[in-house]
Amino acid sequence: MSESALLISTLVELADSLVDDFDVVELLTLLSERSVQAFDVASAAVTLGLPSGQLHVIAASSDAMRDLELFELQCAEGPCVDSYRSGRPAWAGDLAVDDVAWPRFAGRAVEAGLRSVHSLPLRLRAETIGTLSLMRTSPGALADTDLAAAQAFADVATIAIVQHQAMVDAQAINSQLQHALNSRIIIEQAKGKIAESAGVDMAEAFQRLRQHARAHHLLLAELAEAVVNGSFPAGAFASPSVPPRS
Amino acid sequence: MPATRLLRILGLLGDGGAGGSRLCEVAAEAVGVTGAGLMLLSHDLPVGSVCTTDAVSARIEDLQYTLGEGPCVDAHRLGRAVTEPDLAGLGPGRWPAFTGPAVDAGARAVFGFPTTVGGARLGALNLYRDQPGGLTDDQHADALVMAEVAARAVLALQSEASAGNLAGDIEAEGEFRFVVHQAAGMVSEQLHISVTEALVRLRAHAFRRGRTLADVANDVVARSLRFDEMGGDDR
Repeated sequence: MSESALLISTLVELADSLVDDFDVVELLTLLSERSVQAFDVASAAVTLGLPSGQLHVIAASSDAMRDLELFELQCAEGPCVDSYRSGRPAWAGDLAVDDVAWPRFAGRAVEAGLRSVHSLPLRLRAETIGTLSLMRTSPGALADTDLAAAQAFADVATIAIVQHQAMVDAQAINSQLQHALNSRIIIEQAKGKIAESAGVDMAEAFQRLRQHARAHHLLLAELAEAVVNGSFPAGAFASPSVPPRS
Repeated sequence: MPATRLLRILGLLGDGGAGGSRLCEVAAEAVGVTGAGLMLLSHDLPVGSVCTTDAVSARIEDLQYTLGEGPCVDAHRLGRAVTEPDLAGLGPGRWPAFTGPAVDAGARAVFGFPTTVGGARLGALNLYRDQPGGLTDDQHADALVMAEVAARAVLALQSEASAGNLAGDIEAEGEFRFVVHQAAGMVSEQLHISVTEALVRLRAHAFRRGRTLADVANDVVARSLRFDEMGGDDR
């Protein structure tokens, strides 16, 4: 397959997977592997920033321990960190020579036969969430066309991660909605039981429920649940509520 | 989702924001139907309405709430659009209890579109026409986009709520028929049964009398109807 055909089919595949259910790590691993096939690089990895600000490898093209270690090292020092912090591409053209800024990383990389690194930011509007890191066995820079295509891969990776997070958020908020509604329903049911048992209206029933909860340091929702399931008798609310002081 | 459809719908929502009632108005206008309702469902049953545009939509929501059957219930359960372009011509098989009262209320075509965002299933969008007829491909596509926009809007409203509570905007403009639950509490005390069983009794009574659950519940709460004073054939 020609390089451009590979690029196009990769982008289409990635775009398709964004629409269906997808596993974000699987997607990013695919993206890393395709980067190695499409560009003149030996290995590729996607890193993400944690809330602490620490970067960590989430997917890589090669699971050879040596390469993973190198990518992880990059998370502490290297073009990867620079790219993440600046939100711009970062590059080390010859690690055998440019070893001043990243002594540990450069030394280990050269030992492993890797001479240059490109790091592209995963950017969404003003925020950088991680990087796509590409390592090569020869010194020098990637061709501009490769860099542009690699940035496109990085952009798709960003969208995939953000979509995934949005989906997780949607489910969490929906759960909260259902839970809130359910709690409210139980409180209304408890009001009904108290209103009937004590012969009062719903407003008074609610006052009695609230006052009892407060007096006994119980959560309103928990007391309501106990009244509804019968473990706390509705008859216990026979006494009038204390009117609020004016 | 196709950008032009989305932009048109977002344009209709405009600066008025996506507060509950506006969502339904925009849904009806965007798709081109007589009216709309936005129903929330949980465990395959209606739990409330975020909004309705008119009395007919409200009745369509009420019927589904009472009967547990209808286009929104099916759409939510099946996870796909449900369409009935000719409600009056429909035989008894599909929605035996829903159809007659819905037609009486003025609905001649009904459509349900599930409202989901990612894996989050909120409920369904109810659309109705006062004339028979299906949706065009364009209208169907608009309804799909609208359903997702509505789901996102509801989640956005809820995300503003304080922990453990329903968002104020959703509660103020929605209809959750809390009176039904108050009545269930009262009936559970009257008959010494569980609240769950009391809801079943309320439903059965409503069904037998051709009334909505909310109507029966209002009578119970107003103390004009007691379940422990019924005659033999009225349980």
